[in-house]
Amino acid sequence: MNIVLAIAQGLVVMLVAPFFSGLARVIRAKMHNRRGPSILQDYRDLAKLMARPESVSSDSSFVLRIMPPLFLAVSFMLAMGLPMFTLESPMPVFGDAITIMYALALSRFFFALSGVDSSNAYAGFGGIRELLMSVLIEPSMLIALFTVAIVCGSTGIATMGQHIVTGNVSSVVAVILAGVAFAAACYMELGKLPFDQAEAEQELQEGPLAELSGPSLAMMKLAMGMKQVVVVAWFTSIFIPWGEPATIGVTALVGAVVFLVKCLVDFVVCGVLENSVSRSRFKVLGNQTWAVVGIAVLAFVFVVVGV
Amino acid sequence: MDSMTLFIASLAVSCIGALASVLLIKADNAAKTAGCLVGAVAAVLSFIAGLEAVLGDVSSLNTVFFFPFARLELLLNGLAGLIVVLISILAFAGFIYGLSYFDEYPGKVGRAGFFMNTFVASMMLVITADNVFWFLVAFELMSLTSYFLVVIEENKNSIRGGWLYFVIAHVGFVLIMASFLLMTNGVGGSFSFSDFRTHDFGPAVSSACFVLAFFGFGAKAGIIPLHSWLPQAHPEAPSNVSALMSGGMIKIGILGILKVGLDLLAGSGVQLWWGLMVLVFGSISSVLGVVYALHEHDIKRLLAYHSVENIGIILLGVGASMTAHALGNDVIATIALMAALYHTLNHAMFKGELFLGAGSLLYATGTRNMEKMGGLFRRMPVTAVCFLIGALAISAIPPLNGFVSEWFTYQSLFNISTLSDPVVMVFAVASAAALAITGALAVTCFVKAYGVSFASSPRSQEAANAKESPAPMLFSQMLLAAICVVLGIGSPVIAPVLGDVAQSVLAGSAITATSGVSLVNEISGAATSTPAIAIALVVLTGLAFVLRSCLGTKAPAKKTDPWACGYEPNEHMPVVATSFASDVELFMGPLYTLREVCTKICWSIAHVFQKLTGVAQGVEPLPDRFLVDAPSEGADKLAGLASKIEGGNYSVYICYIVAALVVFLVLAVVMV
Repeated sequence: MNIVLAIAQGLVVMLVAPFFSGLARVIRAKMHNRRGPSILQDYRDLAKLMARPESVSSDSSFVLRIMPPLFLAVSFMLAMGLPMFTLESPMPVFGDAITIMYALALSRFFFALSGVDSSNAYAGFGGIRELLMSVLIEPSMLIALFTVAIVCGSTGIATMGQHIVTGNVSSVVAVILAGVAFAAACYMELGKLPFDQAEAEQELQEGPLAELSGPSLAMMKLAMGMKQVVVVAWFTSIFIPWGEPATIGVTALVGAVVFLVKCLVDFVVCGVLENSVSRSRFKVLGNQTWAVVGIAVLAFVFVVVGV
Repeated sequence: MDSMTLFIASLAVSCIGALASVLLIKADNAAKTAGCLVGAVAAVLSFIAGLEAVLGDVSSLNTVFFFPFARLELLLNGLAGLIVVLISILAFAGFIYGLSYFDEYPGKVGRAGFFMNTFVASMMLVITADNVFWFLVAFELMSLTSYFLVVIEENKNSIRGGWLYFVIAHVGFVLIMASFLLMTNGVGGSFSFSDFRTHDFGPAVSSACFVLAFFGFGAKAGIIPLHSWLPQAHPEAPSNVSALMSGGMIKIGILGILKVGLDLLAGSGVQLWWGLMVLVFGSISSVLGVVYALHEHDIKRLLAYHSVENIGIILLGVGASMTAHALGNDVIATIALMAALYHTLNHAMFKGELFLGAGSLLYATGTRNMEKMGGLFRRMPVTAVCFLIGALAISAIPPLNGFVSEWFTYQSLFNISTLSDPVVMVFAVASAAALAITGALAVTCFVKAYGVSFASSPRSQEAANAKESPAPMLFSQMLLAAICVVLGIGSPVIAPVLGDVAQSVLAGSAITATSGVSLVNEISGAATSTPAIAIALVVLTGLAFVLRSCLGTKAPAKKTDPWACGYEPNEHMPVVATSFASDVELFMGPLYTLREVCTKICWSIAHVFQKLTGVAQGVEPLPDRFLVDAPSEGADKLAGLASKIEGGNYSVYICYIVAALVVFLVLAVVMV
């Protein structure tokens, strides 16, 4: 049963990922007073790319070839481990906060390396920026997660959600503040404005994707969409776990619907946020991320003083 | 065979290897073959002995050997066995590697073989010594032999780096000696470690002993701010010796800290603030180590800075363990110590692999500067893949070994933060945040190291003409890379073994580190599983790969030039090491200023020594004639070897080290 649910979670994430990335495009168009594409445009894009022939840059190696399947695999694996449709994790060994952070590092490692490997200068720079972004995000993410973990008693995502849903936590204020900090960190991890560094420079458009084409590009777009859903699910399963069935069973079907509604709300909020802010320069990013670290530290302070 | 017999046999074989190299010093090839093969045999013997000890066969030796006042006491317990095992693996890989690599050192092979064999033997002796006198003698021997390996190239950089190493090693030595003599004094003059273990020194003396030992051994391990010798000295040695130094020798610093803090002072009890101090130095070393590494374009210096980082990560585990131990929670202390020991083992393996990989790059291109490499994947595919495995492992990417130990380190930091002591909580979370920053920066740094050296196209003639390394060098790299994979995916088997070792050090309660194929934190119930991650990744990536090849047109992918905004692409367009460094400096500028201050401190210590030797030279004839005539003659002969390289100044210096040892020995004898 568990493994079935795990695979189902992965497949659902895979199926809905283009919908949510299409949604972002629709929201942007509406807020720009444009008619914009259909919400299903990203499915059509994927179908189109899959039928195209591929070209790879002549100096590239297996890294560029292996990256899209590997990125997809990591996103799928994380989707299997998160307690998305129920309060229990179908695969708890993939649903540990530290494991998730380092699994994301695996896909980031190959994502950035493939940029360098493609020997396209702009893709390489896109990769470096992707890596430095994570340096700025990870402290706030870790402090927020640790704070919640201390309050709930474990670094397992499912345990955190179960404690929060029953209100069995030692400090409510700390959980709320950590939630704010973690939401901000996840938002940065989604690569939306003002933190989308690839889009901030004309030449760095799409960063390390520059040298991908055809089915590889399709796979990468799908995998990146999946990663966004996974990151959102990571947030909701810790901080907004209400409405999910407590145990794994047939009721997971209801849980799936609840989960998708939560995702929809989150993506709409992100879409509106993204289009209400301007792009920021790469150089000033540090200042903004420090503010998030500050919130996370504040949450932790509440745990220490025991409020 | 009994593990101690095997161990002694390996020491004897090492000495034979050293002698053989020296006797054949005129014939490079013969010296190389003899030194390396005999050394490898010794490594196999000590590996078996160490493994038996790790698996629970503790053995000891207590006999009179040369000096009646200081019995030769050796103890091969679980902890010593673990360090013996990891140094044996590195030594084995290093000696096999040397069969080809020493060809780069014409005329110096016999010397390299001699010092490498004695270096390994002296490390083994330090690890097992259970007596102050023999520990210090072996420790000094280890510093001297490795010093000669650092300066083997006899160029300006190596002599400069070697000098700094020599000075800092001895500053550390003095601190360690002071710590041990304090303990000796406390137990009424006994040199034997076994007497220290049961004695209660009282909080003041034990704290003084620990702090002295922490900084003494810390200087050896390369903790910040005592680190700046490390990136200047390690890269100058032959690459297989760098692997042995960075992977193995600095672990003796860790062993020393553990031995003094948790073993020798066990009778006095661990103070809470020791643990917190270790956590602070661990955090600083891990973050700054990797920040400085990012700035390097010399690949071996980059790796040396990563040793500083990883020592920091190990210290986080050690600090968590001491903190929990001081608070009386033995289960958490054991988990944390297991994490530290696991990372010690892991770091030895992947750092060894990476240094051997860097050696292969140096062998093929003749440069350590990554800016002049590029495109080496096509020319050296095996080296590239092994290096990539090492890079992933050191970046703590699941399912490789670095991830396992860092996961346990995070879990132990989490565990101590639930002990409801607010101060400990603050230190634990700050350390965990430091570890997170370190992890993200390490990923950046190794994307750089691999990407700039192996990806895109060659940026120099040498890189374009590079060839894959000879078989022995490839074998060593593959061996270490394979061990990294096994220690990662096989973690459910390895973790309980290391848990037992940790338990034997702390004499605490047994822990449950695994459940089936999962790794668990028994306090909180959090779990992860490297075998499951490995299976999931392989299956899913494979499926996606097959799926992709079924899509699209069946024609093979077309090769094109990379897109360059309409310009003609050339080999200087892709990112180089400086691209990474300048972007990092954007956010971390002040930290680099700090480094200059630290380096200055190290150099000013060196200058003080130089001044001292100057004064000593002035009054040289007097003490020589009246106090140390006979021993200094013997020392002069030794110094004669050094002065060939150094041009005179050192002879005086070495005289004084020997003289100081003799004076202390005489004092000790008088006191007994």
